[in-house]
Amino acid sequence: MKVSLNWLRDYIDIPADLDPRSLGGQFTMTTAEIESIEEVRADSEGLVAAKILSVEKVAENLTAVKLKLKDRTVETVSAAKNLWPGQIVVYAPPGAKLAGQAIVETAVAGRASCGMIAPSEALAMGEVKGEAVFLPPRTAAGSAIDGALLRDWIIDIDNKSITHRPDCWGHYGIARELAAMLELPLKKYPVTPLKKLQDESLPEIPIEIDDPVLCRRYSGLVMTGLKAQPAPLWMQVRLARVGMRPINLIVDLTNYIMADLGQPMHAFDGDKVERIEVSVTKPAERFRTLDAVERVLPGGALMILSHRKAVAVAGIMGGADTEVTETTEKLLLESANFDPASIRKTATALGHRTEASTRFEKSLDPEFTVLAIQRFHYLAGKELPKMRLASRVSDCYPTKLPPITVEVDLDYASRFMGQPVTFEQAKKILERIEFKVAKGKNRLMVVKVPSFRSTKDISIQADILEELARFIGYGNIQPELPRVTVRALEPDRMHQLLSRSLAMMCEGRGYCEVHSYIWYDSEWLKTIEYEPGRTLELRNAAAAGQERLRREMAPNMLAFVDRNRHFFGDIRLCEIGSVFEPGQSGQDDAQYRHMMLARAERTDEGSLLKAVKADVETWVQQVTGRGISYQQVPADKVLPWESPLQTVQVMVEERVVGRITVVPVECRLRIDQHLRRLGIVMAELRLNSIVDLEPPITKLGQIPTFPEVELDFSVLTPAERHYVSLADQIRQFGHPLLRRVWFVDSYEGASVPVGMRSITLRARLGDAQRTLADEDLTTFRQAFVQHLESAGLKLR
Amino acid sequence: MSSGMEEMASQIDDLQKKAESDAQSAGSLEALQAVQAAFIGRGGALNEILRGIGKMPAEQRGQVGQMANQAKKTLEERFALRRKELEAAAGQAEQSKVAQYDPTIPARREAVGSLHPVTIVQRQIEEVFSRLGFIVVTGPEMESEYYNFEALNIPPMHPARDMQDTFWLGNGKLLRTHTSPVQVRAMEKYGAPLRVIAPGRCFRYETIDASHENTFFQLEGLLIDRNISIANLIAVMKLLLTEVFQREVEVRLRPGFFPFVEPGFELDMRCEICGGAGCPTCKHSGWVEVLPCGMVHPNVLKYGGIDTDVYTGFAFGLGLTRLAMMKYGVRDIRVLNSGDLRGIIAAEKLTGPTIVNGSRP
Repeated sequence: MKVSLNWLRDYIDIPADLDPRSLGGQFTMTTAEIESIEEVRADSEGLVAAKILSVEKVAENLTAVKLKLKDRTVETVSAAKNLWPGQIVVYAPPGAKLAGQAIVETAVAGRASCGMIAPSEALAMGEVKGEAVFLPPRTAAGSAIDGALLRDWIIDIDNKSITHRPDCWGHYGIARELAAMLELPLKKYPVTPLKKLQDESLPEIPIEIDDPVLCRRYSGLVMTGLKAQPAPLWMQVRLARVGMRPINLIVDLTNYIMADLGQPMHAFDGDKVERIEVSVTKPAERFRTLDAVERVLPGGALMILSHRKAVAVAGIMGGADTEVTETTEKLLLESANFDPASIRKTATALGHRTEASTRFEKSLDPEFTVLAIQRFHYLAGKELPKMRLASRVSDCYPTKLPPITVEVDLDYASRFMGQPVTFEQAKKILERIEFKVAKGKNRLMVVKVPSFRSTKDISIQADILEELARFIGYGNIQPELPRVTVRALEPDRMHQLLSRSLAMMCEGRGYCEVHSYIWYDSEWLKTIEYEPGRTLELRNAAAAGQERLRREMAPNMLAFVDRNRHFFGDIRLCEIGSVFEPGQSGQDDAQYRHMMLARAERTDEGSLLKAVKADVETWVQQVTGRGISYQQVPADKVLPWESPLQTVQVMVEERVVGRITVVPVECRLRIDQHLRRLGIVMAELRLNSIVDLEPPITKLGQIPTFPEVELDFSVLTPAERHYVSLADQIRQFGHPLLRRVWFVDSYEGASVPVGMRSITLRARLGDAQRTLADEDLTTFRQAFVQHLESAGLKLR
Repeated sequence: MSSGMEEMASQIDDLQKKAESDAQSAGSLEALQAVQAAFIGRGGALNEILRGIGKMPAEQRGQVGQMANQAKKTLEERFALRRKELEAAAGQAEQSKVAQYDPTIPARREAVGSLHPVTIVQRQIEEVFSRLGFIVVTGPEMESEYYNFEALNIPPMHPARDMQDTFWLGNGKLLRTHTSPVQVRAMEKYGAPLRVIAPGRCFRYETIDASHENTFFQLEGLLIDRNISIANLIAVMKLLLTEVFQREVEVRLRPGFFPFVEPGFELDMRCEICGGAGCPTCKHSGWVEVLPCGMVHPNVLKYGGIDTDVYTGFAFGLGLTRLAMMKYGVRDIRVLNSGDLRGIIAAEKLTGPTIVNGSRP
């Protein structure tokens, strides 16, 4: 929200020597963040008011304008639009300076042109540019423009940091904060006394509120003798600088008061609206707002009606049919208070948030409605001597919010702050921001909250403590480390697992950690010809094609492999991330954490697959203390990036932990023909499946007294026979000297007959009582070989 | 001298001559060792001769023994001399080997691997807080409205929900917009007193550009105990930043609004770039916003089942992604989720050790 320093000076005598930048800095430290603070300086001099006598078109977009000054008339050629005789404009005569440029007599389009009609830039009117500036009709021709209007400072307050402060959405509220901060008095808010507006002889506006929860208060006033004339220059300049375009006195006044007090108002044409009903819509009603847009209203939107015909969307925008026009002489002024959530909901549904709705959403003080009317009357009366009241202030106030009183325990306050807080100190601070403070029992302090802080901002002790702390100054609180209670909290096993897993892969086994998005990319799914089936979907995706949350991490990882293959010969990628599964038949949707590994190299897939298996086996052994087994995934169950032959399920005990796969050439070619010779192996592992597996404690046993002997046996097996079945048969073998048998290696190739595989096993033998003799080894070998042969395994 | 004795003397003499000649022709220390063993070792030729002494008349034994010992002594000297010669030669050979050996050659580079920059920063902060007795916890990325908003004192239609543009799911859940939901989850699980941090992915529905991402990392912190004060909060935050930046840092606290804390603060740090003089990075204020924090709102403590009469606490949120960008000079946030190793892994971890450190792109 933009704030003008000149405007603030109406309410507080800020010392002239106080640097506005340092003022902004202090405000950031006590109230809310300042986004920027910038000096506004119109480098103009000698501007005067001039009355237009005649306008004559001299060329396309150019007019010769006769102007009356104090005691002479001049003619100037101007490109300004919407010029009419009788208007009063800001004029720069020869010798004046206009936005840094000296004005001289010149000729335009073959006509002598004396001076120029000043564009809005000459007055530094913010975003309003290139337009003539019109003055109220009572302005004397030739009178000088006040030089004080040419300079200001504009402070931009971060809107997010005042969402909880409805009182800070107007200049008067900001001035109150500054006054408290600088310990200066805040001037009384200038308004017409209420009594003057309560003339019993005047009629009351009939106001009906159907829903007192959604409309807490509705106040109104009817006035006649209005004219759609320009607002005074000071008001136009201030509005333009805080981002609102000047239009005419009536509209400008409502905008000005909104930026002044924070209370939005609406002016209805008083001839078209003379009674008010506040009610909610039925779904899909249509309504044309004053910006000439036909809008479909959501059901339950709060509306202003007159004779049950919609005239405004409450708190958001008025209707096109009842807005004030150039000829309006009578107006009905609305100043109301609406339920913040309802306004927000409607504005969101309409996709149309206005300055007014933004303020109503913040929970404005209902006490402000009549005050705003008094202020309107005060400011309008100065401009329109012929303005008359046509009603008394009419006020329907069904929901008065109860006043809030908070008890503050000063001992608690001191502990909370970390330093002593006294009653006197607290009272002084709180009274500066218009809280009322009294002593309570013991060390209690009773605080009455002003209405403009009572709508949601302040309700409990902690809120009062914040007020105290920010005016004491956070910088004045001495840091002190806390004294804490020792507790052994149960560790988060998932965090331990993922942190350890990342360390193993990325610091021990050469993987590089990457981060990907948790949704699929539909284009990429098409490329790899994958349809994931049921997925969880985003209602508002980041981009088209990114609606579906991933069920597995492999597709995105494959894209990363593709992205890196141009630059690296040995790619090892690792990520731990989330995947999402829609619940089966009434079950909750689930999310799991996976670890995804990918290795890619221009090498044979077999050795790459062995390497990834080694990574996975080592990892499982370390984190669970258990071995793994593999189960082949049937060819009809593989996913597009999985080889029908070389895809296995990783099992730990009876649990499925994940899959390891070779990415088949067909899949690689779908991505790019250059991937033909790039071996890619991926493993996707579900951490949830093993997170509860504590490594079992294995007793280590004695170092053998007598030497043990290891014997290797290479056996030949048909290549189609799987290791697991072979292992199962060997598991049946027992012998008194046998300590362990384990797998060493497998081999296919030269020196092994075609269609066969050689598997090397190692057996360790020992005896607790003696050193083994040659005969022992011989008998063992015979027994073992016999067992192997009975299982169909021949020694190589 | 008897003939037997003469024979013995000549045998010894021959043996000595043979031994001397063999020693001279031994080309290596090992060969010399063998010669020595063959002649004067325990089972050597000289001992063989001496064993024959027993058959000689007693009066001759002493003389022969003397001769043999003399020969042994002479031979020992000869062998020692020859050993020195051979050692010297071997030393020269060794030296020439040393000259060819380069101990400074690096190993052939194996894949080194690396954690993601965000993870590295996360770990560093986890380590700091572990030392302070905080435990690290996780929370779900698909979160309920209750934990993401309601339990954090953000009721439906609260304008603060504006600040958090949310990814909504068809099932009514959402992708968490911050790590703060873990606050209430941790309170429910552990009760008070409590010290936890919760790092993790968060999501915001916003347009991606060089400084905005819809997927990023935060780290939430929460401390609840008896008599926890604003002074405590400032001290812990200062300590955190001192550890992260490895030096004393100047901080300031100013009001900031977050519905789940009261009072809420923005913690600023003196600008790293300009040292406080004002520059574009700090928007000419001399301060950089690093840590939103505050005293836990009593409503949030109640949602977490904590007795607000007994306990108070503070919470803070740290933008891990932003911190990683600052630390590693990442200029475009999108790189972090791109999977492009050139942008997220230090070059020397990907190739061999650096020889020339030239210009960076």
